[in-house]
Amino acid sequence: MTGVVETRDRPRVGAMRVAQAALLSAWAGLFWFLFFSGQSWLYVGARTAWVVPTGGVVLSFAALGRWLSVRTTRREPVTSARSWALGLIALPVVVVMAFPPSSLGSYAADRRSAALGFSASGDASEGEITLVDLGAALWSEETAAALAGRAGNEVSFIGFVTRRDGMPADEFLLTRFIVSCCVADALSVQVRVVNAPAGRFEQDQWVEVDGAFYPLGDEMVVDAARVRAVERPERPYLNV
Amino acid sequence: MQTTTEARPIAPGRWRAGLVVLAALAAVGLALRLVGEAGGPQLRTFVLVFSSLLIEAFPFILLGALVSGAIEVYVPAAAFARLGRLPRGVQMPVAGLGGFAFPVCECGSVPVARRLAMKGMAPAAAVTFMLAAPILNPVVLVSTAVAYRGRDVLWPMVLGRAGLGLVAALVVGWIVSRQARDELLRARPEDDHEHEEHRSAEGGRRRRWPAFFEHVTTDFILLGKYLIIGAAVAAALQTFVPQAVIGAVAEAPILNILAMMALAGILSLCSESDAFVAASFVQFGMGAQLAFLVFGPMVDAKLGFLYVGTFSRGFLRTVVVSVAAVTLAGALWLEVFFG
Repeated sequence: MTGVVETRDRPRVGAMRVAQAALLSAWAGLFWFLFFSGQSWLYVGARTAWVVPTGGVVLSFAALGRWLSVRTTRREPVTSARSWALGLIALPVVVVMAFPPSSLGSYAADRRSAALGFSASGDASEGEITLVDLGAALWSEETAAALAGRAGNEVSFIGFVTRRDGMPADEFLLTRFIVSCCVADALSVQVRVVNAPAGRFEQDQWVEVDGAFYPLGDEMVVDAARVRAVERPERPYLNV
Repeated sequence: MQTTTEARPIAPGRWRAGLVVLAALAAVGLALRLVGEAGGPQLRTFVLVFSSLLIEAFPFILLGALVSGAIEVYVPAAAFARLGRLPRGVQMPVAGLGGFAFPVCECGSVPVARRLAMKGMAPAAAVTFMLAAPILNPVVLVSTAVAYRGRDVLWPMVLGRAGLGLVAALVVGWIVSRQARDELLRARPEDDHEHEEHRSAEGGRRRRWPAFFEHVTTDFILLGKYLIIGAAVAAALQTFVPQAVIGAVAEAPILNILAMMALAGILSLCSESDAFVAASFVQFGMGAQLAFLVFGPMVDAKLGFLYVGTFSRGFLRTVVVSVAAVTLAGALWLEVFFG
């Protein structure tokens, strides 16, 4: 390959290098912001939570190195193509910082796979019953049998409301996502809630449901004794 | 290469491009802030998937760039020259098994493979390493075992994934082994740039660390660009294509395997988490789930763009066709035994 490298006699601050250092700093800043604000839980699961501070450290290291090497004897013109390339890499930082914090909702639940085949939290015949346990009754005969033996037990779950066309007014699906690494691998867990206050809760609204569960056909349903609106949890996704 | 020294005034117009880009970024940020949740669930889902893919992948891209930069600047070229003189039949399996020692996802292995080839390792061996590492690394195999714990197919899945992944990587390495380095790698103007800086460092006139950070920044920017485009495509597909569409072929032989490979290509998951998603497709047989786990870490939307930015034209097609053929054959074979 043949190229032309124009040089100067004395090193000077290169504009492109300053832009690159600023870009790396912006990415490092984003990772530290996500880490310290707790907003990383909107994007990654517990298994990969370490990626966020690690990203902060390695990006800070790379940014520092670039800031310390901004002086060069080479001419590195600020071209349109290079500027747009840096702009493209800065775009995700702008997107994350500008878009209001949110989590996956009912739209995604309708398009993503359910957490079928997921190992439930343990032996469903004893101990605390989780949303994942009730969801597992749909595909695991063993779990369904164990839960049937505990029908009528009280449970309390937090999730968001998913309503489908044709559902009775006093029913909804209480939904939560399981994230193992990042939101891209999110799988939904849903349990039908019956006897909820009709028309009180909107699609995607976060609620806490207290009530007893019962088997109904292949699934487990929760007979709501109380449904109240709650804030989205700091960690909106369940983890494995 | 020519080196010229001349005085040239800085034209004010050179700053215009940078200012336009900054203005564009500010406009995008403002628009997103104003639209926000009112943009509907599609926008929200797209933004979340796009951002999360990048938040997870960017540290690995940078770690890959750091390793790549360290190889270039601190590892003597003679070490790789000796390695490069070994027969390819030895280099390739060793490179493939090298994945056991390099526990990063696929995004990190791309810049490292490119650098290994630049330093004198047989390009075919570097490609074998790049494709095998995301599957053979211990973290991925353990997470596969965790995802399938308590099921009869646990060991067939873990060992089948490792074995089939290694075979697919070796096959692609063998196919590209006829190509010289310059034919296989995409030419980058930055290489001249980097080599100039590196030569200065080796000549002792400058310290090495500026050359190291030059490599790191160059790799990060080049691969970051393609990763962002790939993540945008993957996020759009995840947002608008319902995963249930492939459920219709769950019982259809061969088609079910092809469908799961296509899904892996669309989702662009990290190889350390994809087993949990594969395990949730209980309506698909063991062979189709295995195909998802072997094909995805080697071929997906975000990797496609990384390959295009790293390798010459034709490489992507070679990887897609070869990995698909090996995965299909292997998955069918294993399904007969364990299905």
